[in-house]
Amino acid sequence: MASSCSQALRHHVCKSSRLLRVHLQKSWTNRSFEGAVCVSSSFALNSAADQQPAVSSPEEIVIPKKKTWSKEAVLQALASTVKRDPTASDYRFQDDPYLTPKTSSEFKLFSLSQESGRNAAKYFINTYPKYFQKDYAQPHIPCLMPDTLEAQIEEVSEAALIERIGMRKVKAAVDLYDQLLQAGTSVSLDVTNQLLDLICFYGDHDPAQENVPEQRNEETEDVQDEPQAKKGRAAKASDLLKATWKEKNNAERIFALLSEPNTHSYSALIRGMVKYGAYSKAFSTYTDLLNSRLKADVHTFNALITAAPEVKEKYNEKWELIVDLLKQMAEQKVKPNLLTLNAVLKALRRCGTVGKSQAFPVISEMKALSIDLSLASYSHLLAIFYKPGAPIQGQTDILQEVMNEVSGKSFTPQDPDDAQFFITAMRICLDTKDMEQAYRVHELLGVGENWRLLGNDFQQNIYYARFFSLLCMMENIDVMLKWYRDLVPSVYYPSSNVMRDLLQALDTDNRLDLIPQIWKDIKQLGHANRQNLVEELLTLMAREKHNQEVQESFAECALDIKKIYDTGDRGKVLLNWTAGSLSDLISVLLAAHRRQDAWDMLKLFKTHNRVPSEELLNKFLMCVKEDGDVNQAVELVQISAGFCLPGTPKLIQRVQQEFELTEQQRKMLSDLEIQSFNSE
Amino acid sequence: MYRRLLININQVRNRLIHTHNTRLTLPSTKCKERESFAPVAWAPCAARPLGTSSISFSENKESSTSLSEDKGKTAEENEVNAEVNTDGQRNTEMNEGTEISNATLTSQLETEPVVKPEDRKQVEKTKSGKESLLELLGAMKVEVTTVRKIRPSKTPRMSERPNQEPMESTHSMFQRATAEGSQQHGTLNPELVAAVSAAASTLPNRHQAESELLKQLRKHEAIPDTQRRADIGHIISDMKVGKRPNGRSNVRPTSQIRFDDDGKGYTQDRGITSELDGVRRRKSPFTSKRLNLFAAAAEQDALSDLGPTLWDIDLVNQIVQATNQMPRNGFEEMIQWTKEGRLWLYPINNEAGLEEEASVPFHEHVFLEKHLDESFPQQGPVRHFMELVITGLAKNHHLTVQQKKEHIDWFRDYFRQKEDVLKEAEAYLN
Repeated sequence: MASSCSQALRHHVCKSSRLLRVHLQKSWTNRSFEGAVCVSSSFALNSAADQQPAVSSPEEIVIPKKKTWSKEAVLQALASTVKRDPTASDYRFQDDPYLTPKTSSEFKLFSLSQESGRNAAKYFINTYPKYFQKDYAQPHIPCLMPDTLEAQIEEVSEAALIERIGMRKVKAAVDLYDQLLQAGTSVSLDVTNQLLDLICFYGDHDPAQENVPEQRNEETEDVQDEPQAKKGRAAKASDLLKATWKEKNNAERIFALLSEPNTHSYSALIRGMVKYGAYSKAFSTYTDLLNSRLKADVHTFNALITAAPEVKEKYNEKWELIVDLLKQMAEQKVKPNLLTLNAVLKALRRCGTVGKSQAFPVISEMKALSIDLSLASYSHLLAIFYKPGAPIQGQTDILQEVMNEVSGKSFTPQDPDDAQFFITAMRICLDTKDMEQAYRVHELLGVGENWRLLGNDFQQNIYYARFFSLLCMMENIDVMLKWYRDLVPSVYYPSSNVMRDLLQALDTDNRLDLIPQIWKDIKQLGHANRQNLVEELLTLMAREKHNQEVQESFAECALDIKKIYDTGDRGKVLLNWTAGSLSDLISVLLAAHRRQDAWDMLKLFKTHNRVPSEELLNKFLMCVKEDGDVNQAVELVQISAGFCLPGTPKLIQRVQQEFELTEQQRKMLSDLEIQSFNSE
Repeated sequence: MYRRLLININQVRNRLIHTHNTRLTLPSTKCKERESFAPVAWAPCAARPLGTSSISFSENKESSTSLSEDKGKTAEENEVNAEVNTDGQRNTEMNEGTEISNATLTSQLETEPVVKPEDRKQVEKTKSGKESLLELLGAMKVEVTTVRKIRPSKTPRMSERPNQEPMESTHSMFQRATAEGSQQHGTLNPELVAAVSAAASTLPNRHQAESELLKQLRKHEAIPDTQRRADIGHIISDMKVGKRPNGRSNVRPTSQIRFDDDGKGYTQDRGITSELDGVRRRKSPFTSKRLNLFAAAAEQDALSDLGPTLWDIDLVNQIVQATNQMPRNGFEEMIQWTKEGRLWLYPINNEAGLEEEASVPFHEHVFLEKHLDESFPQQGPVRHFMELVITGLAKNHHLTVQQKKEHIDWFRDYFRQKEDVLKEAEAYLN
């Protein structure tokens, strides 16, 4: 027993020392250290002394190959050590503390201005390349040099055509092609296909100035209010609508000139037609392709599948057309790719109930062809099963299934729709009030490079708005506040609606004492001018009695709010006093025994033509009574009479009974009593 | 492993016998059984009490049908199957089960009819994936030999019979079990799963029992088909047919009572089955059947010979625009710059950007005398000057070897042009 034990131990030691040695070898040679081998082998001799046979045989030492690092490897390793700092703003704003955004509008403004500055610089460099010819960098850095925007080759030749195609000058390329044909020179099929690609891609229009990612959202976003998920897409759709496929355009003309169009030519034409909405034409072109005994390529099929829901009316017919296309793919031995899968799923979104029954078979089919799903596939899948606005019945498990599939995986962007996944998933979590899945979705976001797939700032905002609303609704206040501190304002600037949700959550969990803190945030987030929000805040503060300390902080907060009402922005009044907000504010002040402040506020009723409630005046009177200020009590009655409140007689009675009045005051009160009696 | 299993089975058997012997609730069975159990041949004994329960069922439910001897026998036969089956499956948990004497035994009996229908089917079909049962039946062979004389006459009959009666008899019971919602359980037969859950429900620790039973079943599922087939012949031939003992109908009422007392007979277990059902369903959507449009090994079409087309570039561009490409920290920004070629590469290498010089050995740079051969004078001021030039060039690390050569060539041309002047000044000596 003992011997076997010691044997086992030795074995273990040997193993671990060998491991260590292998490790050492690796690390040494990784640094391409010259004497690595002899050093590591001598170390092995020392450390594994009892393992004689293994060490004595020199052939056991295997020199690993020198590892070549990718050029970003070091930086990637370093970057992986940096975690997000919830107290810091986005990295791009860290250069200038003055430009740290505090509100969503500032965020938008600053990020866009940074981007547009870059664009402006690029524009000048490209427009005036002659001023930017000095090349300081060594080795040469091509991306800092101006792009050539003017065609260099002037003569009419195929090379010039290729150059124009490369520079994406649609009109010039078409003109040159015509000139070439008129001159009798034939253009090779490849170049013609490239030209067709170019024309079809841009729909026979010259491309607009290249956009940079940040710029495109300029006019589409409005982050202030509950954002709409489809805005980004709507913008794209409108772009497409501007340009439509015209009859007999240059693409069709040039295509007709081709003596023997090949697959590529057809592919270009069909993709262009689908891109610019000529769906039925695309299908007839496809029929031509089949008639000329050619095979289509996978891109053609993808385009046609995308177009399939457009050319058929009924769900069944749409699906049958898609299946038919897939069958033809199989017949023509075209291997579908991820984009085929996504196109089918996207088309199934518009096939109603057929989509629900066919989505999973389609996915199984593609999985069998070893196509890995991207996030876009899952996003389409979710969209098939959860229609926005539709009642949710018993489909919560689909999201769960999807999360089971994806959680823990790191995805790489492969499809433009990949960026829709997170907001779609979070929308469903919000609709189904499923906190557990929401956490899983959020966890997935933290895996690997998945954060890139959250999309642009606009989509990020939607995502976080949904997540945070859900938190407000479902989580207890401590957890929710933890998230709040984590997300706001480093990644998310809540809208006023979300802040109201937050207040309601505070109310539900009886943590109204946090209101003054939240008010500070509201001010910083630029929602202090939101009437609804401020009034809600005041109502919540006024509603219940709290302990002295809390009341005191409430009163401070209330006075702060009053300042917002008073100041306005450059003469413009931001907020209007209402009877409700005034009385709430006064109640808060009274509860904190700030009678003087409250008294000042009471006068505002008159100046803003608002009428106080009886209840408020009673409350006020109680407070006055506690301090025994007779004069103020009488004045209060006078104010009440001034508004001709029906409760004035009662108020007079109370004052008469409860206060020690002087003769003069008594007289005044009885006068008022008669007055109010008469007015009735 | 297998030995241990057998040992376990034996232990269970023994305990079963004990519990039978010490039972108080069923005096009539007790005495009879004691006699039969005494000669330790286990299989017949175990079969008998179990058989009775099923018979009692069948008697109760098909009172109109006359119970012939044959029927009884076949029913019992199935009981044997079932008994061995369950026994083997829960080799360990049965220990606990049997230790709880009366209650457990009744529960044991209760489970039998539930499991039975499958066994029946399986024996008939001899293919439908009940290898676990068969495996265990195989284990039973040795004990069975004591009654082998009955075998030849009975087995053919049994395997031919359609056997509807016992099915009927246990029908309601079975329904109860299947109604719990399991239609299909992973790789296992749904009925089997239902039966297992029903069986487990009768045991004190249901969850554990059920999961273990299922695990066991799955393990047997994994056994290859061929082996299974081979076994079946043996098993059927070795199957023993027991007799129907009389006067034990009181077994059932007790079991009934137990369930009533307990108050959570099948109702609790519904939760478990539905849970298991959930597990099963969780796997289904993404592993559902495919459309079968494509052959698995479809050819990759030979495209992309022209490099990326405009469409490919646009796709990449779209993806880039759709995703968030903003750096989150300084390092990520540096990565971006590295990709754009704006940043010095890490790890730092002071020969970065000197790729064309990498293959040039250093002596080409340093020893430049060979370029001063015959075209320059061997001595004199020009020679002296040129020696200074190559010394300077040898130390210059900004120029490539080619540039150095060009530099020397320039002087060669220069001095050649000025040859006349130099000769006049007697500076050019050759």
